[in-house]
Amino acid sequence: MLTKVHHVGVVVRDIDQAMRFWRDTLGLDIHKLQMIEEQGVKAALLNLGDSEIELLEPVVTDNGIARYLDRKGEGLHHICFQSDDVERDLTALKFKGVEMIDQQTRVGIAGRICFLHPTAMDGALIELCQPLDEYAALHPGAR
Amino acid sequence: MAGNLTLDHVVIAVYDLDAATADYTNVLGRTPSWRGGHPKYGTRNTLFRIDNTYVELLALSGAQGDKRWSGELQRFLEQRGEGVYALALGTPDIRSTVNEMRENGLEVMDPADGHGIDLDTGAERAWRNAMVAPKGTNGIRLFFIQHLAPPEALPVAEPVDEAAYVRRMDHAVVLSADMEAARRVWSDVLGARLALDRTFPDRNTRILFYRLADITIEISGGSAQSREGIGKPDRFFGLAWGVDSIERTCARLAAAGVETSGPRPGIKPGTLVATVKGPATHGVATLLIEHMPQSFEAEARGPQRGAIDNAPQQRAFTATALDHISVTTPDLLATATKWAATLNLSVTETHDVPGEGRVAKIPAGNAYLALTQPTEGSGIAAAMTDRGQGMHAIAIAVDNIDEAVRDLRVKGIEVTDPTPGRDPTPRIARVSKTATNGVPLILIQHTTP
Repeated sequence: MLTKVHHVGVVVRDIDQAMRFWRDTLGLDIHKLQMIEEQGVKAALLNLGDSEIELLEPVVTDNGIARYLDRKGEGLHHICFQSDDVERDLTALKFKGVEMIDQQTRVGIAGRICFLHPTAMDGALIELCQPLDEYAALHPGAR
Repeated sequence: MAGNLTLDHVVIAVYDLDAATADYTNVLGRTPSWRGGHPKYGTRNTLFRIDNTYVELLALSGAQGDKRWSGELQRFLEQRGEGVYALALGTPDIRSTVNEMRENGLEVMDPADGHGIDLDTGAERAWRNAMVAPKGTNGIRLFFIQHLAPPEALPVAEPVDEAAYVRRMDHAVVLSADMEAARRVWSDVLGARLALDRTFPDRNTRILFYRLADITIEISGGSAQSREGIGKPDRFFGLAWGVDSIERTCARLAAAGVETSGPRPGIKPGTLVATVKGPATHGVATLLIEHMPQSFEAEARGPQRGAIDNAPQQRAFTATALDHISVTTPDLLATATKWAATLNLSVTETHDVPGEGRVAKIPAGNAYLALTQPTEGSGIAAAMTDRGQGMHAIAIAVDNIDEAVRDLRVKGIEVTDPTPGRDPTPRIARVSKTATNGVPLILIQHTTP
């Protein structure tokens, strides 16, 4: 079950430049800033009440984020919903025949995650996530 | 209410109005908005409306007037000479401001009607003002003013030279020997927002920075409260003017025979400043200041040169929550059905937003999705054509939208005036995409939490 909007993802050209607005002007606190080498992105999560804004800067030229930036420029990229059981929700989506980018959950900056294919939701790119501590409590032994 | 006071205008007392008008036309790089008289007060004035306030040069007219005004001005000129005379604090409702200030222990006269005539054009303006007894403000002369004439009754003072004129007031400096007393007046009585309380040990100085909309009142005194200072009056020291190009402004002033110190880096990183010298400022210590983009960065707001912050900085506003995410679709019913079937997120209500489209609200815990089928020809329809259907905008809740809009504008960000939204009764403002990494961003303030 989806419990809340965990974050809204924004693709930016330069995270440091983007901080001037999201951190310095809007006053959102950064609570995570991470280079995710295997995905070729630099990501920052900023607190916004009980939700978050995720800034994503591609550091390679051949991943989805880089292609998105090329094609559409900076802007809104995806909505991430928090799930109380991401494995069960992924299984249900696959059972319903929903087209998925990720056939299996994986670890991302927001926890255990998976992405739906954008066509699944008429153009809106959707991510599901579950914080790692909650995931571990439900799935002991998983890594 | 107190927190909504603005710096309506600053009054500079001068001996010779015509000479001072000519000099300030040079210093500000603008031609006067108004040259008038106050028959009732026995005074004459010249006004310059700049981008965020106006400047009043005030002189005795020689005619008989209300001694409460002309007598006071005469005493000031005799005892102190020319210089900053008073700050006028703007309020939309002078009656309630006066009541509130009296409750806060300030001695304020009853609001009185005022009336001015432009001697060149015959135009008239009316206002109500209420003087504050200076003993309640450590000797600083303040009055409250509510204009009855629309703002356009006082035209903007036309710039004489592009980029080389004073665009706005940046800050006004008050010198205080009793900083704790000053803090009580500005924080507790006037309710102004204390943006910074900072000590500069190397200069033996403590400065309180109060914000009245986008203008700072800088109160400067000794870093430690001295016994000698207690009870001594505060006084106005000078004014700092915001310019687009300090280099061009200094060049223009030099050509007009006004000497400046020339551009130098300001204490705040990312600023260039120059001091205006000589008699042209009529007793007002005058600083020109140019903000470069880096002066708005967080680092520039931090303490410099070993300075110490005495209190946490108060932000102008707080972004409190993600309110909603706007998602576009050419077929509301089909997409809403998909959201329900795929993610078990269902529509709770639909409504029409004039000029935008039909909106289905889908709650998602802490925020909601506003699934929108745009009206043909609307901006949101154009955006859907441009970027494709899907995520369109996000709305962020703030605790004070007026402060948020002012703060963004001070930082050079385009944002619309707050306007009423819909149910229940929020007010919204739209931030230019150029500032937000391409994200259409709506600021929203709910009147009921």
